[in-house]
Amino acid sequence: MTQTLIDVRLTVNGEPVERAVEPRRSLVDFLRHDLGLTGTHVGCEQGVCGMCTVLLDGEPIKSCIMLAVQADGAEITTIEALNGEELHPAQRAFKEAHGLQCGYCTPAFILTSVALRERGLDIPREELKEELAGVLCRCTGYQNILTAVETYLAADD
Amino acid sequence: MKPAPFAYERAASADEAVAMLDRYQGDARVLAGGQSLVPLLNMRLMQPEAVIDVNRIPDLDGVREDNGHVRIGALARYSAIEWSPIVGARLPLLSEIVRYIGDRQVRTRGTIGGSLAHADPTGEMALAALALDATIVVQSPTGTREIAARDFFLGPYFTVLEPADMIVEVRFPHHTMVTAFAEHARRHGDFCVISVAALGEPDGDAGWKTVRLAVGGASYRPFVADEASAALSNTALEPDAVEAAGAACVEAAEPSDDIRASADYRAHLLPIYVRRVLDQMKARRSQGAT
Repeated sequence: MTQTLIDVRLTVNGEPVERAVEPRRSLVDFLRHDLGLTGTHVGCEQGVCGMCTVLLDGEPIKSCIMLAVQADGAEITTIEALNGEELHPAQRAFKEAHGLQCGYCTPAFILTSVALRERGLDIPREELKEELAGVLCRCTGYQNILTAVETYLAADD
Repeated sequence: MKPAPFAYERAASADEAVAMLDRYQGDARVLAGGQSLVPLLNMRLMQPEAVIDVNRIPDLDGVREDNGHVRIGALARYSAIEWSPIVGARLPLLSEIVRYIGDRQVRTRGTIGGSLAHADPTGEMALAALALDATIVVQSPTGTREIAARDFFLGPYFTVLEPADMIVEVRFPHHTMVTAFAEHARRHGDFCVISVAALGEPDGDAGWKTVRLAVGGASYRPFVADEASAALSNTALEPDAVEAAGAACVEAAEPSDDIRASADYRAHLLPIYVRRVLDQMKARRSQGAT
């Protein structure tokens, strides 16, 4: 089958983006291969590990099980949006709490935390575990990750 | 893995979506939240000629009250259902069950209509629809029809839906019963091994007039355990009634072996979870929950 390319227009980290994509292109491959935003990682490609978590209109989603064509008109936020001169408060919390070991899952945890903070709720640690359960850490460092997220959610800045 | 090539069609209305489905004569799949479909595409377990994206159809995602029912649009996301004050007030069992589905990311995208059409025998949403006696509203090129949840599921990933059918709404009747839910999963957030939902209508001080049990993961499809429900109705859920209900559930179940559990283990778990869910229902009643 010859693949018809489909035009997509979306906003990625505040910048307008326009590309023509194959319908089968996943959003994560679009971000990584077409836009060069390799901070979003790929794990299982079946929606289990959560490594590919990005924000779709502010809400966390797994970009390996969303097609790039579906993001037409949407606002996507990847970990690169947090890039700046200074560490983002979430990055700082992860650094201070030693909330990472190999770091592969860190972008996903940080973006999930950013979305949680946007929701503006006071979330007890037990519920926080539920909210973060969609991202796996195979270094098994969850305690420090939880501490980092708690610190970030409670921070004033 | 990456999906095999497919054509992508974006429907602007339910009418257009079912016309597209009709045109592909069974070789197209509806793409709603994509949380089950896209993994299947990625693994190439499914290779449809076309994918019909219904996400842009307006007014298909509402949650509203109407004449003794809660009407939930097929495109309503799990998170929206989880956070809906209407669902919280009218369908606490649905609010509770939806939190067991996937994880936050999955609940951001996954939809009630997609979940029911996918018909995973361990799926929590299918169990909720059965337990709560939901009606599934289906559109086809020739019109819409209503299907009771208990007539909807035929087998694993198999429903009464025809190739050009699309779910447009799920309707839940209001009820005042005490509800409870429990499931066993090997890992947090994993597909469940078995799940049990219970609804009961209190009668007198400690009695129960009607009790309904629905079971997931223990058969080729989720089911309402009629015999077990009858064994519990008009009792005070005494130990022998609970035991009889557990045995009746095992009798009605047709568990199978899979990667998560053996059929024997599922049969072993079932009466235990029946007892737990009934204990929970009793406890909630004494705490004043209705």
